Amino acid sequence: MYSLTPLTGPLGKQNAGHLLRRATYGPTQKDIKEIALLTAEEAVNMLFETQDEPDAPIDPLTGENWVSPKPGEDNSDEEELRKYFAAWHLELMRKEPLNIREKITFFFHTHLPVAYSKVSLSTPVYYQNKLYRHFAFGSFKTMFRKLVIDNAMLWYLDNTFNYVDEPNENFAREMLELYTIGKGPQIGQGDYTNYTEDDIKEAARVLTGYIFDEEFTTYDQDLLPETQIATGYVYTYDENLAVLHDPGVKTFSEKFQNQQIQPDEIISGFATKEATLTELDEMIDMIFSQEETAKFLVRKIYRYFVYYKISDEVEEEIIVPLAETFRDNDYSMVAVLKQLLKSKHFYDADNSETTDDSIGALIKSPLDLFMGALKFFKLDFPSEPDKLYRELYGNVLLSYFYIMGMPLYNPEDVAGYPAYFQGPGYNRNWMTPTNLAYRYYPVYALILGIKNDDGEALLEFDIVGWLDHPDNISDPSNTKEMVREFTDGLFSKSLPEERLDYFIDNIFMDGLPSSYWTTEWVKYKDGGVDTTVRALLHRLMIGLMQSPEFQLF
Amino acid sequence: MKRRSFIKKSFGAAAVPVFLNGLPLRTFANEFTKLTAGSPNDHVVVMIQLMGGNDGLNTLIPLAQYDQYAENRPFVAIPEEGNRKYILLNEIDPPEKQLGLHPDMSHFKQMYDEKLVTIVQNVAYENPDMSHFRGRDIYFMGGGTNDYWHSGWMGRYLDGTYEGYPDEYPNDEMPDPLGLEFGYSMSLIYQREEGIPAGMAIIDPESFHQLISGGGIDPPDWLPDSHFGDEMKYLMDLELKANQYGDRIKEVYDAGINSPNVTYPETYPGEVEEGYKKNDLAWQLQIIARMLSGGSKTKTFLVKLNGFDSHAEQVLENDTTQGVHAALLYHLSSAIKAFYDDLKDQDLDTRVVTCTTSEFGRRVNDNASFGTDHGTAAPQFLFGPMLKQQLIGNPPDLSNLDDGNLIYEFDYRQIYTSILFDWMETPLEILDEVHWTDFVDSRLDLFHTPDGIDDGKGFAAVTEMSVYPNPATTNTNLKFTLKKAGHIHLAIYDLNGRIVRQLFEGNKVVGEHLISTSVQGLKKGYYLVRLRSGYKITGKKLLVQ
Repeated sequence: MYSLTPLTGPLGKQNAGHLLRRATYGPTQKDIKEIALLTAEEAVNMLFETQDEPDAPIDPLTGENWVSPKPGEDNSDEEELRKYFAAWHLELMRKEPLNIREKITFFFHTHLPVAYSKVSLSTPVYYQNKLYRHFAFGSFKTMFRKLVIDNAMLWYLDNTFNYVDEPNENFAREMLELYTIGKGPQIGQGDYTNYTEDDIKEAARVLTGYIFDEEFTTYDQDLLPETQIATGYVYTYDENLAVLHDPGVKTFSEKFQNQQIQPDEIISGFATKEATLTELDEMIDMIFSQEETAKFLVRKIYRYFVYYKISDEVEEEIIVPLAETFRDNDYSMVAVLKQLLKSKHFYDADNSETTDDSIGALIKSPLDLFMGALKFFKLDFPSEPDKLYRELYGNVLLSYFYIMGMPLYNPEDVAGYPAYFQGPGYNRNWMTPTNLAYRYYPVYALILGIKNDDGEALLEFDIVGWLDHPDNISDPSNTKEMVREFTDGLFSKSLPEERLDYFIDNIFMDGLPSSYWTTEWVKYKDGGVDTTVRALLHRLMIGLMQSPEFQLF
Repeated sequence: MKRRSFIKKSFGAAAVPVFLNGLPLRTFANEFTKLTAGSPNDHVVVMIQLMGGNDGLNTLIPLAQYDQYAENRPFVAIPEEGNRKYILLNEIDPPEKQLGLHPDMSHFKQMYDEKLVTIVQNVAYENPDMSHFRGRDIYFMGGGTNDYWHSGWMGRYLDGTYEGYPDEYPNDEMPDPLGLEFGYSMSLIYQREEGIPAGMAIIDPESFHQLISGGGIDPPDWLPDSHFGDEMKYLMDLELKANQYGDRIKEVYDAGINSPNVTYPETYPGEVEEGYKKNDLAWQLQIIARMLSGGSKTKTFLVKLNGFDSHAEQVLENDTTQGVHAALLYHLSSAIKAFYDDLKDQDLDTRVVTCTTSEFGRRVNDNASFGTDHGTAAPQFLFGPMLKQQLIGNPPDLSNLDDGNLIYEFDYRQIYTSILFDWMETPLEILDEVHWTDFVDSRLDLFHTPDGIDDGKGFAAVTEMSVYPNPATTNTNLKFTLKKAGHIHLAIYDLNGRIVRQLFEGNKVVGEHLISTSVQGLKKGYYLVRLRSGYKITGKKLLVQ
């Protein structure tokens, strides 16, 4: 029924659009046309081309980055800096060439979240993001091992307060339940199929003694000199004795083959720093060698990139083989995603049934929705940092995401944004009547533009100019063909004839014959004013971007 | 999200999104819902979700075991001396049952003294789950550790009670949302097994109405049978319900008031970090009171208070009586007190029962970060004048723990089944759909009995009431018979549920009674004469001509 066999032949427009919408933050018409000519193999490989590490974010107040070294007195307030970080990340998404790196980076954030309500500094959040980006095309397992002692995570789930004499289980619990192997059904007291309550306690003991580095000057040695990522560290006395670490023997349950972990060097009753770190490596190896870990993670990946319901058949025919790929390739994101995104399954081409088609079956996140629109219409953003980060993003755009139901970098749950973990609805969690109403707002931002307090334009969109470009629309004067081409690129599926007519007759032409548009467009092109065509196009834009079709991808 | 007519409007040239003008409110033809045997009564339940897992042991301290309590949690223990010691719950309790409230719960204590609180101790369920998500899901699902339903108990209850939802709603008998929660997402509690949830999530009635008054287009006429089609249908149903309820919610809200004598609390007066200063619960209860005041027939509400996951910094380092947990308990107590004061002033209090819920309690021992980790059993609280008992269960036994955690005494469904079966008068067939028939026998006896007879509060048993002449032009007479002496309240209400004539409140003896009143000065139209005794209400329509 389902198959990971690679798709062959040129992708065509629908598949190209589907791939680009799921793997990037939004294609343009031109992107879709170009990728349509490639095969899945070629297109997916292109998405995985390596890019340089981006420069650190800029504080408009100083014109320089504030994360390395950490913010000084001349820098903006933390509250502002947090916004600048989020804005910087969004800009990376917006300006990214056709590449999947930012999607994977953000996927890591949705799976391993952080929230400003707890971790109220921008610098550790930046470094966590840097870690994610560095490993977007790398090994999930290696990334996770480093994430355990990442400053933001140490703070977020209190592992920086986890000491031998007073253990704090918070991180250990969520590590097993949410981030690695996942919780199974409770089959006995404290027994969650994949691990037990006792395993949580033992894991917490392995995790004792790591500290948040307030100076952000401890850098990951493995990653230097290539990249500089600040981490937490083992708290030591005399540089070598891990006095806050539990030096005892940790014994795990039969779920983990009764494995025992203990320091391989003890001095004066304390584990050494190296021995402490080795224990952590061993525990990570132990968790990641369980079959269920790869499956749990692959299900997360599948839900993020493909569809939120996983039937028994999909589990057996897609998830299990992908998990094997994941495991066999040291948890390589590239290996598993390439296999998935090149497969017939991803393009609904693995069987002739249409009832299980998943193209267009995910409700967009506010990020996909709004960022997708900004990229599709190729909006120009200001380049001056103060206008861009403080005025446009800081004062306006960031709050859009919030009211649409996506508090960026501040999810309420330690499991992240509900759309990515809360069954059975998953993506349906983006939708409440309130959120839906706010999701209709982005179109107004495009139509009305956004100005700052002095009346200067921060964002302006010229729909007439967009329509008039052959990259976007081949023949703007032909009403039906124009709307057809417009909607083919904007929506995940080509509209049925009847629905296309509705958009043309009821929304665009509002009862007038479609020749009316042609007449007006020709008048404009002949040297007339653009008032009428602009007004008509605005009406069409509103209808298109407030349709249920637009909410899905 | 109205139909395409909005497109013809022009919008302002503001730089930020503008709220489009709402379309004119449709005039609401008011009909009285007859309290027939088949339709639900007018009782309301408000669930308060204490998000994160409330530390029951610091909320309610078992005083007979104080030494052990203090020894087990030295970093967070509430002191037993000084001006910030615990509040003694009830000096009449025998020593081994005595309990101390957190010192910031004085409003709670006041309500307790007025018999407006029921405390049920050691609530959880078998094999409790200490994960936030699974724990919360279990409570919202209304199941046990091995249940994995896609629906919530309120969703199933509403689905069974309001047949034909969503297609046949709103309608004249039930023009209001079946359930309401506040926030940006819809909780499992309102999910049904299939389709859109039974409840609605809004931020507040005003902005909700402004919001949904503009935007949206007609949906397609047909949908493909595919996952894409499924999601389209979901979106369309959601939008349709929002449209239909948007006007009504605002109408009811505008028609309602909060009592001018009540000030809802805003901040915690003690010391706590900035993020917890503000009372995030009060505004939600305030809206509910106002909507009930405006005539809303919504029977179920979910409100939330976040921050109880106190792994670290549950208390201040130099003062265990202040800090995050203290602030939250203060917010909870003061908000509920204001809520019930407001409801009482408007004669709505006997209709409303409020109940707390939390995914778990917390461990007996504290940790090194002035906090506590996930635990198991904890006390839960109910509020309202119709509660029968004050204290149910025994103090938690600190010397009989299960791996450092408290052992439960009552399954939470023993409380909830009483809420549905006794308070909401849910028929057994529907209770069965909620999957709680097994708990009928073991349910707790929480509420005053339906026929109004109760020695504790002395409500009278009422039989018939008649109103004549009807229609009336100058005067009218109300004749009623009491089978048992007791406290009654008789008044005339307008279509918005507001009292226009207060006729009598007080004790009456057994037998026939006659109360006359003038109707001059009342606008022509329909009114409702209501005789209330306990929570039994007898109503008669009166037409003034």
